[in-house]
Amino acid sequence: MGDEKIIALNDVNLEIYKKEIVCIIGTSGSGKSTLLNMMAGLEKPTKGEIIVNNMHLEKMNEKQLTKFRQKNVGFVFQSYNLIPTLTALENVSLVLTFRGVPKRVREKKATEMLKNVGLGKRLHHKPSEMSGGQQQRVSIARAFVGNPKIVFADEPTGNLDTKTTFEIMDLVTSMVKDLNQTLVIVTHDDEISSYANRIFHMRDGKIEKVEELPLKGDVVN
Amino acid sequence: MNSIDLIYMGIKNLWRRKLRTFLTVLGVVIGATSIIVMLSIGFGLTQSFEDQISQWGSLTTINVYPKWSDPSMPSTGNTQVYLNDEAVTSFKAIPHVVAVNPIIETYGTVIDGKYITNIPIRGIDPSIMEDFEFEVADGRLLDESDEMTAVFGGQVAMSFYNPKATVWREPKVDLMKDKLVITLNPNYGWSDPNQETINYKSYKIKVAGILTEDNYEYSYAVYMPMADVKKMIKEKEKAENVKPSPNKSKDDYQNITVKVDDMDNVKDVQDQIKSLGYEAYSLNDQLESMKQTARSIQLALGGIGAISLLVAAIGITNTMVMSIYERTKEIGIMKVIGASINDIKKLFLFESAMIGLFGGVIGIGLSYLLSFLINKFGANFGNFMGTGMGTKISIIPVWLVFASLAFSALIGVISGYYPARRAMNLSAIEAIRTE
Repeated sequence: MGDEKIIALNDVNLEIYKKEIVCIIGTSGSGKSTLLNMMAGLEKPTKGEIIVNNMHLEKMNEKQLTKFRQKNVGFVFQSYNLIPTLTALENVSLVLTFRGVPKRVREKKATEMLKNVGLGKRLHHKPSEMSGGQQQRVSIARAFVGNPKIVFADEPTGNLDTKTTFEIMDLVTSMVKDLNQTLVIVTHDDEISSYANRIFHMRDGKIEKVEELPLKGDVVN
Repeated sequence: MNSIDLIYMGIKNLWRRKLRTFLTVLGVVIGATSIIVMLSIGFGLTQSFEDQISQWGSLTTINVYPKWSDPSMPSTGNTQVYLNDEAVTSFKAIPHVVAVNPIIETYGTVIDGKYITNIPIRGIDPSIMEDFEFEVADGRLLDESDEMTAVFGGQVAMSFYNPKATVWREPKVDLMKDKLVITLNPNYGWSDPNQETINYKSYKIKVAGILTEDNYEYSYAVYMPMADVKKMIKEKEKAENVKPSPNKSKDDYQNITVKVDDMDNVKDVQDQIKSLGYEAYSLNDQLESMKQTARSIQLALGGIGAISLLVAAIGITNTMVMSIYERTKEIGIMKVIGASINDIKKLFLFESAMIGLFGGVIGIGLSYLLSFLINKFGANFGNFMGTGMGTKISIIPVWLVFASLAFSALIGVISGYYPARRAMNLSAIEAIRTE
């Protein structure tokens, strides 16, 4: 009991290119979240390599991983993961606080970012005073404020209604494109996968199928 | 993460849980206060012992006596040493010795009109009076040119009486103005028909000054230049027709007192004098044992205080561990969005150090208040303890204030170390999943 080994990922090989929007889709338990956490440097594989921009994440210690995440990675979570006691502005600028950015500079950047996601009037509201969609916008602003190279989104619309889902997805993808960033989305929702350039279908810890799509975003715009 | 943000964030976190922070701080306040107050009573005790003993005489003076040797015992090999000018020279050569006072003492009577007093007369070298802390209340000390001049102890005036009076009345003497006569006749004023009358010489003396009453040792004696006292003794012996016997001590002086520059060196000098073959005593001997007592009392009191501080320290640890449980998710989020493990550790250590420091600051304030109240209302207790009026029961030295500030902050850091490590080692991905 408890010692039983669960193999979440087995023989997974994938390459993601710069400025690409990638979607990893699968049922729950397929290992898609584990794969995302590993690519983001939150979890370590027992075997194998993760190479981001020529850096081997599997060889880094906790300290180096923190540095790596600070510099390269932004996160958007299904449950927003905002700090409930902080206002929208404070939540977003916290990212910059940990980088040692002075207060005036980081508040200016955070305000700008919140305006970009359409929350210019909600700067001083706490998460509990905002709707789910608004909270997710704060979390998006937080993911982008540090100007990361890659943004990871774990079921970003899992708690949202259909209308808000599309708003949020449009927002994220357009920001990624504007800033020339790479976006990795994990979802079980087919609708969302239509925003991607490539879709990896996962089942039981393996990649079953890779699907290439025409660039939808370009068509829309 | 820079320090200002760290401080701001830490204080904000403490403020978020005001009641719990307050209660934890209260624990530290009680711990710090009990340690400070208990120690302060110990310091007060030491101080009052010191005051008390210094009333008996100077704490930096060593009294040297000839070694008493049992004539029936075979000599221990040490050559017999005597209290003579040679001894004075050898004492002067010991480091830290400020002055050496050979004492020659005789007993005589001072006559002021119809009043007399029987009193020890001590010969002294006028040049060392200042070193030996003679202080005049009136007039001046002796100087080198004085002859047949005396300085009186502070209590001498009160000891005059009228031998012919049947009822004691307060003597009306003014030592500074009256004409005084001194004689070494031990029975002056008492005629004993059975004894053959000896024609003791009387000497007119001038008075230079009267000493203060602070020092018991100096209060009941007359001080005169050494040469005068030697002369008077010689003339007394002549009058009594005493022949120098072979048994007469070869000591020129009854005792020699040695003044040391600092209290801390007294024991050293005293040991050296003993090793030369003399007996040496100082008030330091008593003070040492009293200080020992004060120290053990202080240790016991401090121990009681330390226990409450220990309880407070456990309180801090408990509060911080609880705080980690509550903030697990928050810690996870901070880690994911780029807080380094060092930031997390520093944040928690800072919070616990602040609890300790706040407690220390308030504790010091409270201690001063308590100390004030003890000193104000505890005088009866002081009398009961025999420390007397005037001395404080509780003394808080300045260094104790800084030491307790540093110590309470340190207690905070130590208590916060385990929780901080726990927070630091939380897995970000697991922490973020907890609800």
